[in-house]
Amino acid sequence: MDLGLFVLILALAAVVAGFIGSLTGLGGGVVMIPVLVIFFAVPFPIAVGAGSVTILATSATTGAAYVHDRLTDLRIGMFLEIATVPGALLGAGLTVVLTHADLDQALLIALGFVLLAIVPGSIARWNEELPSGVVPDARSVRLGFSGSYRDAALGRTIEYQAADTDTALGVMFGAGVVSGMFGIGAGIFKVLALDRYLRLPMKVATATSNFMIGVTAAAGAGVLLAAGYINPLIAAPVAVGTVVGAFSGSRILPSLHNRTVRWIFVPVIVALAVETILRGVGLP
Amino acid sequence: MTPTSPPPAGHRAPGPLPDVAYARMTLVLRVGLLTAVAILLVALGAFLLEHPGESSNAAIATNPLVEYLSLPTLASGLTSGAPEAYLALGTFVLIATPLVRVATGSYYFAEGRERVMTAVTLTVLVLLVLGILVIGPLIH
Repeated sequence: MDLGLFVLILALAAVVAGFIGSLTGLGGGVVMIPVLVIFFAVPFPIAVGAGSVTILATSATTGAAYVHDRLTDLRIGMFLEIATVPGALLGAGLTVVLTHADLDQALLIALGFVLLAIVPGSIARWNEELPSGVVPDARSVRLGFSGSYRDAALGRTIEYQAADTDTALGVMFGAGVVSGMFGIGAGIFKVLALDRYLRLPMKVATATSNFMIGVTAAAGAGVLLAAGYINPLIAAPVAVGTVVGAFSGSRILPSLHNRTVRWIFVPVIVALAVETILRGVGLP
Repeated sequence: MTPTSPPPAGHRAPGPLPDVAYARMTLVLRVGLLTAVAILLVALGAFLLEHPGESSNAAIATNPLVEYLSLPTLASGLTSGAPEAYLALGTFVLIATPLVRVATGSYYFAEGRERVMTAVTLTVLVLLVLGILVIGPLIH
């Protein structure tokens, strides 16, 4: 394929990835990596590098918007980065080692099952608009892990407080490892920790996840850069397209209901999980 | 005291970050992003003009960024106007943006005399710098 056409198609695919990533807190790498591997036969490690760039672009685009709108909880997001960054460094190192051992297909299958593992918990709270009965733990009280935001969909200010910070820290470390390994920002796991364990409203969870994923991706980027996995001829169109898509998504999220965000989140994960596993076992 | 033990009597939870922290954080992210995207767009256009008819397979097989991972080669490429060097620069700006954002947050936590949050954000910043400059090349 001509390079110019390739660049244009990549940028358009990245618009979709950025849009979905900004709404769901997933960053967009989770969309971009399968697209690159399946439709463009890009080697998995190079796709992971491009995934990292997608995440960095989505995070900066939506971060600017959601921080401005106060949907992002800065305090909670920055605290949890103490777990995701070491995890990302470990994960990125594992990717280099596993790739050298020719485990590309195994990595794809593992990524698919990682995605599927998220689904049951999200379905369990399919219609939940706002968390109720949240009991903050001592750390949450001591460090001021509470906040409020103006919910345009509900037409009122929503106050919230974080709950189980110990479990959230553990899940965030795992999110960092997965992020470093698969270049997906592991926004899925971050949303899981923020939504299911900290019990934040879904929109705050996705906005805060989008804010955090940029730092996690930057942590792993050093390893990916040094290994030559970030190819700027792929990364540049992906970054530009992602910014356009993520900006569009960030304008829509504030007016959505929390349960609507969850309804978008689950089918996207299921489709990508199935697609990725099929590719991993060698099916077209 | 364990991390999750109850706060001492009379403890006052920290209040929300000041508005200026939100404004500066937004500014840092916008400036970093727009700078990176502008550089990448111009460099990509220049590269395509310099390599008419090149195939995507050739682009996937070679990685021009590898040549510009050290400061001297990057500076040399930038001064000679090589599009590949500018593609590398745009990528580096994109990666550096979250680091500047963490440093900004750390500043405002320090200004609010929040010791735990200042320590956490500074640790994250050190790990990020180590990860990009030291651990990455070491693992490779």
